[in-house]
Amino acid sequence: MSFLNLVVILFLIMDPVGNISSFIDQLKEIAPSKRKLVIVREMLIALVTMVLFNYIGEYIFKILNVSETTVRITIGVILFLVAIKIMFPGIDSMRANLPKDKPFINPLAIPLIAGPSLLATIMLFAHLEPSQPHMLLAILAAWCAALVVLLSGNFLQKILGNNGLMACERLMAMVLALLAIQRFLEGIRQFVKSCM
Amino acid sequence: MLSVWALALTFFIVANPVGTSPTILALLKDCSFDRKRQIIFRETIIALLLALFFQYFGEFFLSLLKINDYALIITGGILLFMVALQMLFHKPELAKEKHTREEPFIVPIATPLISGPGLMTIIMINARTENNDLIVTFAILIAWCGVMSILMIAPYLQKILGMRGLAVLEQVMGMILGLMGMQMMINGGKLFAATLS
Repeated sequence: MSFLNLVVILFLIMDPVGNISSFIDQLKEIAPSKRKLVIVREMLIALVTMVLFNYIGEYIFKILNVSETTVRITIGVILFLVAIKIMFPGIDSMRANLPKDKPFINPLAIPLIAGPSLLATIMLFAHLEPSQPHMLLAILAAWCAALVVLLSGNFLQKILGNNGLMACERLMAMVLALLAIQRFLEGIRQFVKSCM
Repeated sequence: MLSVWALALTFFIVANPVGTSPTILALLKDCSFDRKRQIIFRETIIALLLALFFQYFGEFFLSLLKINDYALIITGGILLFMVALQMLFHKPELAKEKHTREEPFIVPIATPLISGPGLMTIIMINARTENNDLIVTFAILIAWCGVMSILMIAPYLQKILGMRGLAVLEQVMGMILGLMGMQMMINGGKLFAATLS
């Protein structure tokens, strides 16, 4: 997988564009002057988590005795369900039921940015990618892009409007569903090959 | 590959103007008759732009994300099938209620009702398998003539069929959509199975 592929896939799973409305909604409680600071803080927490999983992924594989196949299929299922919840919003959607008090770590950093599917994907890619600096750089690049998008969230909301943001959210969810099925099928293929 | 007309028919069925018109009518029930027609026209044009965008740039996107043909087809199938299930077993006006406050724009009429994920996927698949881009573009335009005319007469349709008639039509369209979704899953599954051996 090329560097560009890694960056784009990680960026899309972070889904900053789809998360703008949740961020704006969550930051209502906080004084406008502090909002940017909170976004940066939450994003830094997410970054630390991502880098952590980049390194401990290999140990988790060993300790729990899970294979690459398992991780691929798990990513596929979780990511697909996340995408479905965004595309067909209902009462039980994750984004509709965010906690009401001031955000700290939960829900902005985890799970909205560094969700289970992102962390598992990072573990998988760190396992597949031979050079660690390469992977770290990819995480950093995707993270920077996501940070820029989230910091300009208010601006984007003004340009696109609430409906426009929702349209972007749905389109992003469709891409997530595609990524999910791709991972799932790769997992199935590996599984079948390992049986034969 | 498929002829222009067959493609256009596929797009037309997936865009499902007859099935979505009751929903669109329900969404626009607070607007005046003329305003309804204006909004439907605008939303259909936006949906057309989205469809064309996906025809030309969908491919680039997929190669960037390393997504295979079969993953695309299977995802499309699953999503279509889920839309069909929603049409067949939906609780009327539950999820859609909150949109009726403001006049709808892009969401939910242009996407996901007209240019939904299913349609975008099916357009990308055909843009992939069809060598001549213009054929797909023409097919989209032809399909859109049909979609546009059905949706534009939808405000009248309501008077003729009544809500019950439209509800029956939606059920039938849901069944057809379900069949198409399952067929796509099976086609994609075949392609995938071929890569296994």
